[in-house]
Amino acid sequence: MSEAELHRRQLLVALAGGAAAICCPRLAFAQDESAGASLDSGANAGLSAHPARWWKNAGELRIECELCPNKCRVADRERGTCGVRENRDGKYYTLVYGRPCALHIDPIEKKPLFHVLPGKTALSLAAPGCNIQCKFCQNWEISQVRPEQVHTYAKSPESIVELAQHYGSPTVACTYSEPVVWSEYVYDIAAATKKAGLRTLMISNGFIEAGAMNDLCGVLGAVKIDLKAMTEKFYHDQCVGKLAPVLDTLRLLAKRQVWTEIVTLLIPGLNDSEQEARELARFVKRDLGPDVPVHFTRFHPSYRLQNVPSTPVAVLTRARDAAMAEGLHFVYVGNVPGHPGNNTYCPGCRKMLIRRISMVTLDNRIKAGHCPDCKRPIPGIWN
Amino acid sequence: MTINRERRRLLEGLLAVAGIAVTGCARAAPSAAPDGSNKVPKKLRRPIVARAHRDDVSNATNGTLDAVKLQAMLGAAIARATGDLTPLASFRRLFRASDVVGIKVGTLAGPGLSPHPEVVQLLANWLVAAGVREENIVIWDRLDHELERAGFKLNRGGHGLRCLGTNQDYDWTPREWGAGGSCFASILVNELTALINVAVLKDHDLAGVSAGLKNWYGVIHNPNKYHDSGCDPYVAHLAASPMIRGKLRLTVIDGLVAQCHGGPARSPRWAWPLNSVMVSTDPVALDTAAWRTIEEKRQQMGLKTLVAEQREPKWLASAAKLGLGENRWERIEVVDV
Repeated sequence: MSEAELHRRQLLVALAGGAAAICCPRLAFAQDESAGASLDSGANAGLSAHPARWWKNAGELRIECELCPNKCRVADRERGTCGVRENRDGKYYTLVYGRPCALHIDPIEKKPLFHVLPGKTALSLAAPGCNIQCKFCQNWEISQVRPEQVHTYAKSPESIVELAQHYGSPTVACTYSEPVVWSEYVYDIAAATKKAGLRTLMISNGFIEAGAMNDLCGVLGAVKIDLKAMTEKFYHDQCVGKLAPVLDTLRLLAKRQVWTEIVTLLIPGLNDSEQEARELARFVKRDLGPDVPVHFTRFHPSYRLQNVPSTPVAVLTRARDAAMAEGLHFVYVGNVPGHPGNNTYCPGCRKMLIRRISMVTLDNRIKAGHCPDCKRPIPGIWN
Repeated sequence: MTINRERRRLLEGLLAVAGIAVTGCARAAPSAAPDGSNKVPKKLRRPIVARAHRDDVSNATNGTLDAVKLQAMLGAAIARATGDLTPLASFRRLFRASDVVGIKVGTLAGPGLSPHPEVVQLLANWLVAAGVREENIVIWDRLDHELERAGFKLNRGGHGLRCLGTNQDYDWTPREWGAGGSCFASILVNELTALINVAVLKDHDLAGVSAGLKNWYGVIHNPNKYHDSGCDPYVAHLAASPMIRGKLRLTVIDGLVAQCHGGPARSPRWAWPLNSVMVSTDPVALDTAAWRTIEEKRQQMGLKTLVAEQREPKWLASAAKLGLGENRWERIEVVDV
């Protein structure tokens, strides 16, 4: 059987598993009022407020946020670009600490993290908000809104750990929206999971200041960064963001030796050229190392980008081939179930190590972090 | 004396409502009449900003408003701004009886720096007098609790004027508007056919000035995304969206209290009783005049100009470029009534 071929039974199992993961209802959980003290000053009735980190006074009751490269200067009673951090009388508060709006059990491959505990699950949660504005955001209903516009639940970091343990999930993933804007919550969850012997995964755009990222590196288990393109123009026009800080974050993660995987959503006509894929691969190889996994994923029309067609599979294959030709060892294709790029291959002997269909792991041959055939070490977190 | 003063106040109020107190000769041609009844070619018209001021409209001690004087001021300003003899005539021409009229107020700054319910009530009264059903008048802003804090009484249905916050009730279909993209308040998308914008006059840390145009940030779900670059061109582009531009008939600035620094939140140190209302059918001209008022007060207070602080409202020029109105000071006719 060729690599691309699949048994019908395997395919059905995989699709059923994937569908279950995607469609699984929100976990039933009780409210946990210890998550954040209700601070109803009348200004934002019903929202909890928790002292924020990573900001400084800027005079006349203004503050300057130091969490992300937007470096918002925020007047009294105003919020930063993220919409979830508010200045109250010259002090900065996060309005989403301990207030997730989504909570699911996902396969860890859905993040996607292919070199972290394959086949295991991640208790996945999101609080509202984001610090950039991707026109193609797939989760804009929670990332591009203000906390009062979605229903949230009170869940303390400790109760998140308890939930993960209850459901047998070895990881907690801060995902779906943009965890950078709820970094205080991420930090406390990660510290609590670490203490409990679990890992926290941060699924992020990487648009964060070095100070905050450095702090998080000390407690995170692994990180996935969306490297959305290799041009400032794309970041400016499509995301209202900047590329350079994201590259800096990736370099910092490499320096701090936090396990990192990269995802790039290829959008027809905007960032899908072979040249750009090669440029991305050269950056990864040169600045991060050839073992950092890169996932090229397929775009489908979403949010404000409805007039662009889905990415042709051939374009994803071309990008993968180009990145591997540039010397990357692990390049994947996402959102195309059954594509050979779903699988992990040994960069030494080229044998298949992990067979997947989309986000479902069917077979994992890695033994104690090594290829069973040529004994080459395979980088990742395997147990 | 007391009786005479009261009688005089009453007469002033009645005259204002009847339009007799409005005596200007040169009338501005309206720019937003639904029937398109403009008499002067657009290029030749100078937009009018009508400004009414009375030191004694509010009680200096307790801030209570003199209803009769307020009605006289506002009525005169509306009539002058629209080029009509009376405010009632203005409303009859600007609105159809079948309109569902949204009165968008800006109550973010809370009591002391939000439109006064008394001002809004007067506008509603004239709408009703012009034939609009009470149930088809909606006083509205972002959030219920912000409206209540500012002194408005909520009424989501049933009889009488409606008053409600958008809260979570957005039309969750993202719409592009120039430089931005947002979901708009459901009531604006699905129900309102005409708009009156009632804003306050205040300094804004990022936008420079927050008056009429900036008040539209309160109808989208993601205003926090549009404060870069001094809110330019976002303020202009949002106001130019069909959802707003196609429905706006009148802009009123409640300048009974204004604030020249430290905004957009209320800062008692920088607020002062301007005791004025400003009205125009040209929202850009009105905000240009509002900017000038802020600058004059800043000069009096020994503050740097907004230009010197590099936070002048550049979005006014963007708005003018989009054809929303006039931002050249020499082309704007500010008329004190």
